[in-house]
Amino acid sequence: MNRKKRTEILIRGRHHLAKSFCEQINRTYSVDLLEKPNHSLVMVKMRETAKNTRFYIGEVFVTECKVKIQEKIGIGIVKGNEPELSYYLAVIDAAYCANLPITQLWGSQLEEELQCIRQNQQIKFDQLLKTKVNFETMDEELS
Amino acid sequence: MTYVAVKGGTEAIEESIRRIKYERIKHGKTIGVDEIQCGMRSLVDQVMSESSLYSEVLAALSIKQAEGNPEEAVFLMRAYRSTLPRNHYSRTVDTENMNIMRRISASFKDIPGGQILGPTVDYTHRLLDFDLMDESMDEVNTWKMDYESEMMQYLKNGNNSLVDHQGLGDRGIARLPKVIDYLRKEELMIDFADDDHEPDDVTRRSLEFPSSRSQRLQILTRGQTGTVTALGYAIIRGYGALHPTVGELRIGEVPIHVGHPLEETIDEEDTYYIGDICITEAEMLIPQTIELPDGNKEIQFSIGYGACYGQNETKTIAMGILDHALEYSNPHYPTHDEEFVLYHIDSVEATGFISHLKMPHYVTFQSELERMRKTKTKEKGNDA
Repeated sequence: MNRKKRTEILIRGRHHLAKSFCEQINRTYSVDLLEKPNHSLVMVKMRETAKNTRFYIGEVFVTECKVKIQEKIGIGIVKGNEPELSYYLAVIDAAYCANLPITQLWGSQLEEELQCIRQNQQIKFDQLLKTKVNFETMDEELS
Repeated sequence: MTYVAVKGGTEAIEESIRRIKYERIKHGKTIGVDEIQCGMRSLVDQVMSESSLYSEVLAALSIKQAEGNPEEAVFLMRAYRSTLPRNHYSRTVDTENMNIMRRISASFKDIPGGQILGPTVDYTHRLLDFDLMDESMDEVNTWKMDYESEMMQYLKNGNNSLVDHQGLGDRGIARLPKVIDYLRKEELMIDFADDDHEPDDVTRRSLEFPSSRSQRLQILTRGQTGTVTALGYAIIRGYGALHPTVGELRIGEVPIHVGHPLEETIDEEDTYYIGDICITEAEMLIPQTIELPDGNKEIQFSIGYGACYGQNETKTIAMGILDHALEYSNPHYPTHDEEFVLYHIDSVEATGFISHLKMPHYVTFQSELERMRKTKTKEKGNDA
């Protein structure tokens, strides 16, 4: 599973999944903490639609962490003050970078979590559709 | 005239700082940061937008510390921001990927995907709700549970987008097309190719004139809400040359991704997702007379663009009006003058400068006083 999809599932989904993966790694492998969870900023670049140029809308406060497993560096970065989650993400990222066999076992759980996320998004959007306007055209009055 | 250094006031200042804390808690009550974050969503959004820093928790904390004063809260946020390293730049955010929570158009009644009102005060009566005076947690929880079960029942009755799947994307969430895309298809609007020049950053390099488009948009999006709104209003009232309509106003969450910080990330699928942020975006349609290459003239629509952190609708619409005004400068109106608008719209700069007038100006004032006295004495001498 690619990194974009994986991090979307681990951050949007229930965080106990990330914690569980991290614990599995910690039980079997040696994890070096290169950079403990700390706060930093991400500058957000946006595409405007008037002339399709780009500009900076502002910064996002994030927590990030770096670890190393078998000489492979893993990075965890997440919006907000999330020291534990950023550590879990870093460990999982390093595990995938090091191509540890245990990562092969996670695919189905990640896919299941993705289904839950999609279902919740679907429910949220469907509920929102109750605020969708149904226009009724009024009868014209003939003079 | 001689300048004299003076000192003193340390104890008074320390007591003043204690006094401001006393004013905040003197009623024997304190408000939780989580309560501000949950119950003052609009103020949190305003502070995040003006401080140009997205963090609901930090914004709520700054509001608590500032006793609800947005200008002070924004100052605190900007000051805190300056202590943090900026380690990453995001991939370009495209609002077509927005998870919509509200989306309307004032230009077209029928838009693909429909007009979705979402949460808005637009249709409330604006009568003070005195029931809120005694609102209890029990009442709140009961209302919330009733509402949520009613929503679930609504879906069970078959009202869901899986049945009416207009606008649904492959990820199971709504991808509503942009209203302006239809005007572009009809060639009623100029289409621009993507311009991938790196934007300028006014937080790293001071603004110089003429400004770039990216500088203007960055300053407008972090502008003080009241100022942006007032200047946008002035343009429509006659101190400007625009008559805009809201082509589309959309509010929702957009995903943020960053590349690998230690190596170049070319594959978009190899980026890190870091979370979603809420954004308001306004595309203002403004009719304009365009001269064609053959000398003939025709009317086309152009867009004024606004986008801000959080749900900040009035500010975003006003930003769209100002964006267009600054794109097409007009010497007759200050609202079309980039120096006038961009130098006076920032909360920290404007409130900071006005506030500094409270600081001791003893030497300056005494010097003016001295000059006035001399003039008076001279006048009296001449009269005699």
